[in-house]
Amino acid sequence: MRAAQHRHPTLSRLLPALAAVVMGLCAGPLLAKEVCVTDDADREVCLAQPAQRVLPLSPGATELAFSAGAGDQVIAGVSYSDYPPEARELPSVGSHTRLDMEKLMSMEPDLLIVWATGNPREQTDRLEELGLTLYFTEATNFEQIASNIERLSLLTGTHEAGHKEAKRFRDGIESIRQQYQDADPVPLFYQVWDEPLMTINQHHFIHEVVNLCRGDNVFADLSRRVPRIGKESVLEANPEAIVAGGMGEENRQWLEDWKGFSNLTAVQQGNLFFVPPSIIQRPTTRLLAGAENLCEHLETARERR
Amino acid sequence: MSGAESLAPGATLNPGVSVLRKFLPLLILAALSLLSMLLAVAIGSVPIPIMDVLAVVQGEGTPLHQTLIIELRAPRALAAFAVGGLLAVAGALMQILLRNPLADPYVLGVSGGAAVGALGAMLWGMGAAVISGSAFAGALLSTFLVFGLAHGSGSWTASRLLLTGVVVASGWGAVITLMLATGPAEKLPGMLYWLMGDLTYARSPWPAVIALVLICLLVVPLGRSLNVLARGPLQAAALGVSVKPLEWSIYVVASLLTAMAVTTAGSIGFVGLVVPHMLRLLLGNDQRLILPACALGGGILLTLADTLARIMIAPEQLPVGVITALLGVPTFLYLLYRSR
Repeated sequence: MRAAQHRHPTLSRLLPALAAVVMGLCAGPLLAKEVCVTDDADREVCLAQPAQRVLPLSPGATELAFSAGAGDQVIAGVSYSDYPPEARELPSVGSHTRLDMEKLMSMEPDLLIVWATGNPREQTDRLEELGLTLYFTEATNFEQIASNIERLSLLTGTHEAGHKEAKRFRDGIESIRQQYQDADPVPLFYQVWDEPLMTINQHHFIHEVVNLCRGDNVFADLSRRVPRIGKESVLEANPEAIVAGGMGEENRQWLEDWKGFSNLTAVQQGNLFFVPPSIIQRPTTRLLAGAENLCEHLETARERR
Repeated sequence: MSGAESLAPGATLNPGVSVLRKFLPLLILAALSLLSMLLAVAIGSVPIPIMDVLAVVQGEGTPLHQTLIIELRAPRALAAFAVGGLLAVAGALMQILLRNPLADPYVLGVSGGAAVGALGAMLWGMGAAVISGSAFAGALLSTFLVFGLAHGSGSWTASRLLLTGVVVASGWGAVITLMLATGPAEKLPGMLYWLMGDLTYARSPWPAVIALVLICLLVVPLGRSLNVLARGPLQAAALGVSVKPLEWSIYVVASLLTAMAVTTAGSIGFVGLVVPHMLRLLLGNDQRLILPACALGGGILLTLADTLARIMIAPEQLPVGVITALLGVPTFLYLLYRSR
């Protein structure tokens, strides 16, 4: 249910504005210290003083917390909380799909950053019952990434650093947008996984990256956000480029497999591009690097025409 | 020691000694149950010194220790014990009803119906309370579906019930696979954990605990009839047991117990199949003894297994079903080997 709310594009655009209004209300002279923001589940999150023991419950949330300038206040992470490198040194409270509740409680966090669709609802409900403060994130586009960083930085009392980082991200995206806005579209298939074969539709943030580079996601209109498709659909769509991550940062095997289909335009043109999954599959500021990487590949594809 | 031999001579002894000898295994199991509960409360991924555990039990201790023990460990340990007990009793009842050693609480599709209910609620993004309610509704639906179909026109037999149940279970299995194949990727881990059985879903242990206590009180007076029924329906009828009503009550009761168990913690496998066999190998086949022993034995196995699941690769958490099988398989094979 929570997830459904954020897919609504107007609502997600409204959120930063809402957050600003709420903060305005709370920043009155009587409540000088208390900070309130609205999170991505449309809940109001208030803290009497800036959070000093922040616990992000997903690898993406960990990155957002560091981006917000709160790296020093982050006390633990979960499995695969591996970026920035300092995050690897943090103790872990389990995996984002199954948290070790005991370990988590023993860290005595004063702010949990929850991944709304990734952390199990039965556990986050329990954590709320136990009296912890939860901030839900569900970044599905560039603006939400930036606004999450800003809102988190308000909760952690690091808003200068947070606003600076959010601005850097927004500006970076904007300059890429201007650079490519007149480029010719490149029909593109983005492969999330190979067995089963998975891609993304227009409601996924990777689609936004594709759009930014003037790629044309051939599966944008499918109904599920991460649809499972057949090889036949790819052959039928005949994209001009195929972009894949892979298992690990170097493994190009998925792309090699497509070379067997010599009728594909992407194969004939040699447009099988590898983008490291870590910079494009997490909704964090590293998407900026992912976008630059993808855009360069699509420029190559245009040059090969 | 073989159960049958140890029980038989008791009849010629002084009745007081005989009763004591007969129920000694239950006392031992009860003591082990207490021990397993204590272990479950004392051990976790955060080490708490035993003195501090005792302090919390007496109402003292730091707020953190109180939260860990009273809010997290104790309810989960109770839920584990109750679910294990319910599954083992339900399994023993199904084995008597179907006269088939391979019967377990899930063989007639109760867990399949519950799974479809729970997974459906998860797909809709519901919280734990709705998931539990929907699982219970699914389990009841499946129970009455099988009951109605097996009851139908014509003669009724245990094998007809078994066949109906197994086919309905396969139907649920197909629906579950369909849900997994079409569900959104981010919901899959939660759904798989439910199917493997996981006590993270246990919200409140009390419904399961109360059900376990009630069933223990209920089966004791029925024990003699069950003993006769285990020898076959014809013998039972000849000895004055009204077989049909008894069989149907066993079916309904076992299904309700299973529904309660899977509603609390997902479909935890293995306990319901193997614990009754294990205890029969140890204690003989007197249902008056075996059924309460199952309630305790199943509880002990699942409590210990869940404790291990919480700490084995902490802070990562294992689904408890993995551990029940890893603990139970060697124990069972050893008992079976020795009993030859």
